[in-house]
Amino acid sequence: MTGKSIYAIAKKEFLDNYRNKWIIAITIIFLILTLVISYFGVLGSEGWTDLTATISGMMFLVQWLIPIIALMLGYASIVGEKEKGSLSLLLSYPVERGEVIAGKFIGLGSVLALSILIGFGGAGLIIALNVSGIQWGEYLIFIASAILLGLVYISLAMLFSTVCNKRSTALGGSIFLWFLFAMIWGVILVGIVIANYGIDTLSNEDWTAPTWYYIISMINPISSFQLLVSLNIASISTEMPGVLPTFYTTPIIATVLILWILIPLIVAYILFQRKDL
Amino acid sequence: MNVIETRELTKQYGDVLAVKDLSLQVKKGEIFSLLGPNGAGKTTIIKALLGIIVPTRGKTFIMNHNVQEKGKVARKYVGYLPEVVSFYDNLTALQTLSFYAELQGANKQESQELLNELGLGDHATRKVGGYSKGMVQRLGIAQAIIGKPPVLILDEPTSGLDPRGAWEIRKKIRELNKEGTTIFLSSHILSEVQEVSHRVGILHHGALMALDTVDKLSKKLDLQPKIQIELQKAPKNIISYIKKIKGVRDAKIKDNILEVQCDHTVKAQIITALEDKEVGITNFTTVEPSLEEVFLKYTEE
Repeated sequence: MTGKSIYAIAKKEFLDNYRNKWIIAITIIFLILTLVISYFGVLGSEGWTDLTATISGMMFLVQWLIPIIALMLGYASIVGEKEKGSLSLLLSYPVERGEVIAGKFIGLGSVLALSILIGFGGAGLIIALNVSGIQWGEYLIFIASAILLGLVYISLAMLFSTVCNKRSTALGGSIFLWFLFAMIWGVILVGIVIANYGIDTLSNEDWTAPTWYYIISMINPISSFQLLVSLNIASISTEMPGVLPTFYTTPIIATVLILWILIPLIVAYILFQRKDL
Repeated sequence: MNVIETRELTKQYGDVLAVKDLSLQVKKGEIFSLLGPNGAGKTTIIKALLGIIVPTRGKTFIMNHNVQEKGKVARKYVGYLPEVVSFYDNLTALQTLSFYAELQGANKQESQELLNELGLGDHATRKVGGYSKGMVQRLGIAQAIIGKPPVLILDEPTSGLDPRGAWEIRKKIRELNKEGTTIFLSSHILSEVQEVSHRVGILHHGALMALDTVDKLSKKLDLQPKIQIELQKAPKNIISYIKKIKGVRDAKIKDNILEVQCDHTVKAQIITALEDKEVGITNFTTVEPSLEEVFLKYTEE
């Protein structure tokens, strides 16, 4: 693999997607919602609040919306080009298929990262004009975590895009993926707890969950994102209830997210190698 | 030197054998055509040549590089025009062509020159999404020849084009060949293949039915176009009158429609002769020999 081809493909992918209507809309939504949350606060009190206070309100916004735009960006990346026919042409050039996967991921990732930076960064600047003593370090960690979450979903969407032979199937798979981590995962986890320890566990405040519960919970990229933000923002981490297991540390959580990026990409690469187009 | 080679190339899709045991070589400087109807396996062969699909068995080579093992090296020498050309809607023509130039390792400056050359110069900064079909086809040719690759692989290069567009493409093919480019193309039109290529492989259900030079093929087939002329009135002696023209093989008349089998060169002469007789020509069409006739000739042997 050479950097030159990867760069060329990444640039093309960026140029083809950065003016995408979805991306522009979502950037504006990020900007406005961040300002709204900051001004009206989570409790509904009027007036500008500090960025750190805004973050806890924004976390929910991010964990629902970012996966959606990342999936929208990525689901057609391979299968869409395959259906149109432009992928055959691309692969007739002196490029390796791994370079196509890498270039597309970098290009789409850049579009998403830029959108998050402009949306949240822009809102941060406006808030900074009204509030003094902004914790920029913490805010940047929040933005970086949001980007990391977005990259996980782009990677997963690209895997679906490589496996599926139809655009519509890849879209369906992506929608399922969103529900899986945003809703189904938690429900199943609770179900397992009830099956093992009885329904009373849910109302028992003294119950401490076993290690596997924390591991399965952490594997969900949305939970990883929440943990990563919570652990690194002082005002949130001091308010976290109960005792967290010792392996809930920034390096481990960050590794989980990075593995969520790498593994789907590697699987996509392997499957793409043998694919007829 | 063999520029393109397939060795016992076989491709199976489920139960369907798209290409079976195909071995062929194309030499430097040749224009080679694969002739066959839709579904004969032309596109499959081309895609296997480029490494876009993986053969079930067999190998393909470009400039003696094995495509299945060293695809990236092999593809450096090739420009490809797919049957259905499609680009990226949000990129301008210049951005599109510069992208392909970068991948090909060609000079990006070439992009603008090439767009000018193909008559797209004024539309270089327009998004390709708004291009007409003809403009997309031109851009397709531009991307195929950027970086002047020594080998061109063209899949049905004239399909979907108007006669003038098709003529321009054939002209371009001959020009490029004169400059030394080896050309491999596929087509389902016999006359086009006869006009442009040196050698032809006739493909039937994924296998070569014949492999010959165009001259020998034409002789062997001895197929001529038929012209049908609709007349207002048909005098009795018209058949013998037409048959007197040199180059006319056969003539028939039915319900005021005169059907003449003749050499390409005498078509105009026939029309003039009919006008002299004042028979009143109301319609005129040329019927090219069909591929079915070609297959029949070969299976008869």
